[in-house]
Amino acid sequence: MHAKPKLAFYWAASCGGCEITITELGMRLVDVSEIADIVFWPAAMDYKYDDVRSMKDNEIDFTFFNGAIRNSENEEMAHLLRKKSKILIAFGSCSHMGGIPGLANMFDIESICERVFDTMPSLDESKGTRPVIKSKMPEGEICLPELYNQVKTLAQVTEVDYFMPGCPPVVDQVWKVFNAALEGKLPPKGSVIGADIKTVCDVCTRKKVELGFKVKEFHRPHEIELDPNLCFLAQGVICCGPVTRAGCGLPCLNGNMPCRGCYGPAEGIEDQGAKLASAIAAIIDTDDVEALQKTLASIVDPAGTFYRFSLADSIISQMKYK
Amino acid sequence: MSHENTIETFADQVKAIPGGEHLEMCYSCGTCVSKCMIQQKLEPEYNPRRLLRMVMMDMRKEAFESPTTWYCSQCDLCYPACPQEIHISAVIAAVKQLAVEAGYSTPLSTVSVDESLCAGCGICVMACPYEAPHLIQKEVDGVMDLFSEVDENRCMSCGICVAACPLGAISRKGVSNKEIIKQIKVKKQKSIPSLVIFICDWCLREDDDLSILESYPANVRVIHIPCSGRIDPQMALLALRAGIDGVLVCGCRPGECHYQHGTDITTCKMSLLDTMIDQIKLRDHRVKFVQIGTQERGRIRQEIDSMLETLNARKEPH
Repeated sequence: MHAKPKLAFYWAASCGGCEITITELGMRLVDVSEIADIVFWPAAMDYKYDDVRSMKDNEIDFTFFNGAIRNSENEEMAHLLRKKSKILIAFGSCSHMGGIPGLANMFDIESICERVFDTMPSLDESKGTRPVIKSKMPEGEICLPELYNQVKTLAQVTEVDYFMPGCPPVVDQVWKVFNAALEGKLPPKGSVIGADIKTVCDVCTRKKVELGFKVKEFHRPHEIELDPNLCFLAQGVICCGPVTRAGCGLPCLNGNMPCRGCYGPAEGIEDQGAKLASAIAAIIDTDDVEALQKTLASIVDPAGTFYRFSLADSIISQMKYK
Repeated sequence: MSHENTIETFADQVKAIPGGEHLEMCYSCGTCVSKCMIQQKLEPEYNPRRLLRMVMMDMRKEAFESPTTWYCSQCDLCYPACPQEIHISAVIAAVKQLAVEAGYSTPLSTVSVDESLCAGCGICVMACPYEAPHLIQKEVDGVMDLFSEVDENRCMSCGICVAACPLGAISRKGVSNKEIIKQIKVKKQKSIPSLVIFICDWCLREDDDLSILESYPANVRVIHIPCSGRIDPQMALLALRAGIDGVLVCGCRPGECHYQHGTDITTCKMSLLDTMIDQIKLRDHRVKFVQIGTQERGRIRQEIDSMLETLNARKEPH
């Protein structure tokens, strides 16, 4: 009898949403445990890092790694799990492209600490606290992981076999990927899995723009009443649909919210934010050149909007830390 | 007499189309020709004055075959110059409409859509200054889907849609994404900075700007594009990622764009990229967009030299 395949789940810099998507499998998880052994899953089961360290190299068949690389602990675990796993899957937007934590690359670590420890409105007073990696206590020396200045994607620190996008990946896609993995039916290494080849626009059924339409002012979704049947761009609301991979089942659009881009750049796009910026620029009304700057100013936070999930993976971020 | 009443003249037909009605106000002074960039740069045979005469003299075939009918991009530099205030591009558009109805088609090398890549998002429809692309429904494998289709007789071949298309589904011969990326490669020398210049052919002065561009050594690569609107932020960033030190995009001054709004669209793209670079605190502006006016002789040299100087300072050890 063959030994059951071994699965591992790990979370690095993430919110926990990717863990929830796995528990959303519900009773199907019991089916998984019939045919596979879950050997490491800190969010749900009591395992220690030493349990992983004591494993043989390549002992784990599939590791689903969610979260970005934000500190030395994240990176250490990325290297450890890479060594112990036959197949390492970047699971979810943060691991795939840096995700929301990746937006921190707009700042340096000191200004972030200043905000968190000194100027946050919820603080009574600043005590000038800063995290210290090693501190001496009566019981001995205690350590904290080192916070990095740059948020990295998993692939920026180690070799990744597959990329599974989504914030979080939707449960149906997780189930499909589990089955494909356990049946040995994964595509060639390096592929994006658990997503479509098409873009969100391709599968969106909203009414598209009319000929001659141009945007004079952009709105954020909460600022106007949104027509549930009309393309968001035609309403002056920035939607990441034109550049974003489909496969999510469109929960945002169905909830009358524009696509935020969590499934990452579609096939053929190298830089999600830069390409979205060029598509958005091309729909701006340029009849009145004087008004252009006003229209552009109505795009609040371009980097955070166009690169909402992919800033750490962007060319500009990589240039910054080069 | 009855002959005259039943058969419409060419001029009558043109005048019947909105925009064509001012045809007969033309007294052939030729001021429009002196303003026209196409006549100066692209096609010496291009002559709006002569085209309007052809219409009035009932020279249908000659008018339909004339490059003037097809090459006018409605930049309207001639409009404010015309002493009779004739909207000449509108008259030419009327002639073109009749030419298309008579079965003639554009001699321009227009854009094409790869339907296997097109997602039907409609960005190109909004981007095009000429309303050439439109969305059509088509059945593929039993499912109705939307695709972009380009009316080639409306397309002026500016390439704005090529840059706007998120998926690279639209291409134009000579300046497709692949062809431009291929040109980006620069022979790198350690000591001197490398610079890629994307230059709109319409903002160049034929007489001396070309020789200025040719005067730079191999570390400066000049890539000619039909309009600055052809370039997008991703293209500029790909050049930097390929190891190029700087990217200079040159377009026309607002109001002088050969394709109406191409240069303004580039302003939008490049300001968004600039804002994002500021937001990430890169403090390293290696992508610059400049708008050069038709009267600014030698400006191109100043811009290249100043960019090279900035890049040089960056390269020197601190």
